[in-house]
Amino acid sequence: DALLGCHRSYRSRPTHGIGKFKYLLPKEVPKKRKEKVQMKEISAGNEYQYGDVNIQMTSNDLCLVEHFAQYVHRLCNRLSIRVNESYAMPTRTNEVLFMEERGSKMQLDAVLTTHQRVIQIHGLSSTFAPILLEIIQSNQPEGVHLLMKQHTEADFKSRLKSRPELEELLAEMS
Amino acid sequence: SAAPPRPWRLFGAMCLLRLPRISQPLEKVEEEMAALMDQIELEKSHYSDHEMRKLEEEEQLKRKKESLYDEDEAHGKTVVMAQDLEEKWEQKFLKFKAASRITDADKSNDRTSLNRKLDSNLMLLVKQKIGDQELWLLPQVEWQPGETLRSTAERAMAVFLGDHIQAKVLGNAPYGIYKYKFPRAMRTENNVGAKVFFFKAFLQSSDLSQAELKADHLWVTRKELGDYLKSEYLKKVNRFLLD
Repeated sequence: DALLGCHRSYRSRPTHGIGKFKYLLPKEVPKKRKEKVQMKEISAGNEYQYGDVNIQMTSNDLCLVEHFAQYVHRLCNRLSIRVNESYAMPTRTNEVLFMEERGSKMQLDAVLTTHQRVIQIHGLSSTFAPILLEIIQSNQPEGVHLLMKQHTEADFKSRLKSRPELEELLAEMS
Repeated sequence: SAAPPRPWRLFGAMCLLRLPRISQPLEKVEEEMAALMDQIELEKSHYSDHEMRKLEEEEQLKRKKESLYDEDEAHGKTVVMAQDLEEKWEQKFLKFKAASRITDADKSNDRTSLNRKLDSNLMLLVKQKIGDQELWLLPQVEWQPGETLRSTAERAMAVFLGDHIQAKVLGNAPYGIYKYKFPRAMRTENNVGAKVFFFKAFLQSSDLSQAELKADHLWVTRKELGDYLKSEYLKKVNRFLLD
């Protein structure tokens, strides 16, 4: 009965647990459920330093704006300015309709997409900020809009989507 | 008790910059690299929707000519073919003419107009009388006690260009300093020399029609500064110019 006999290494056998390997792997922390994204504290700067500053770049040309965002990020790295986050806002699509009225009404469609990249910086000293702005402004490519402003809660909230059903249920409960 | 009068007179000068409007032309290496990358991308890319549509319609046309099918018409033939669309777009593109990079002011080398060198920074230089010499300088005005140096520089700008300029000064800190001593004949106890503090401002709009230009003025690039400024002054100014 070689087929039926199972040679399972039982605990008394010396070869018990020969195939185990999980004890060799690093310990994994049990995966928590997705927590609500908490807003990190926004530091308002003191008199000599700006707190969180957002540099927003918008353009219609995706490659241009991405390359420019990469350039600004690397510039900040080189100048040892701490970059908190570097993210992209969702793209907006605009449909442009031309109404030509030469005899027959023609409608030419054009689809334009607007892309936005945001880089968040911390710890910009007030003597250095104008120089940085000047560098970025003089290296701005054509067709890219630049906006530099302080980080606010509204900016953070604009990245999150609201869930109307959840809000309704919460309102019903309370 | 009044503070003892200082021997140095203070001036605030404004360096008004117009940022470049076009990007600078690529170098030869950059151009070759760009062409190479374009070609690689083209060869690696997939067909887009429009190109697929064009190919399908070409095949349909071919099949029609060879075997005179009329069944293909039942497959919902579009009224407008992709080829026609392309031709329409081509014609529209040919009608568009881009503005030239070299403007009229460049060709005539008219240094008083703002439409010059569109790909580099332009600075404002004014002719001022210092002592008994008429010199080309960045617009400067003497500091009056009780105002900040930045407002002195803004006043200097207003004196030479009128009140309605849309220029933006970014920080309160000066960018550079130039100090010189008066010639011996003019020196007194309290008046040894002068210190000029430089500030930078950026022109927001290139519309200067409202500006009243009182003195001779020039818009120059960094390389042309050497034609007008004295060497010591030029050295200090060059320190804070980015190009």
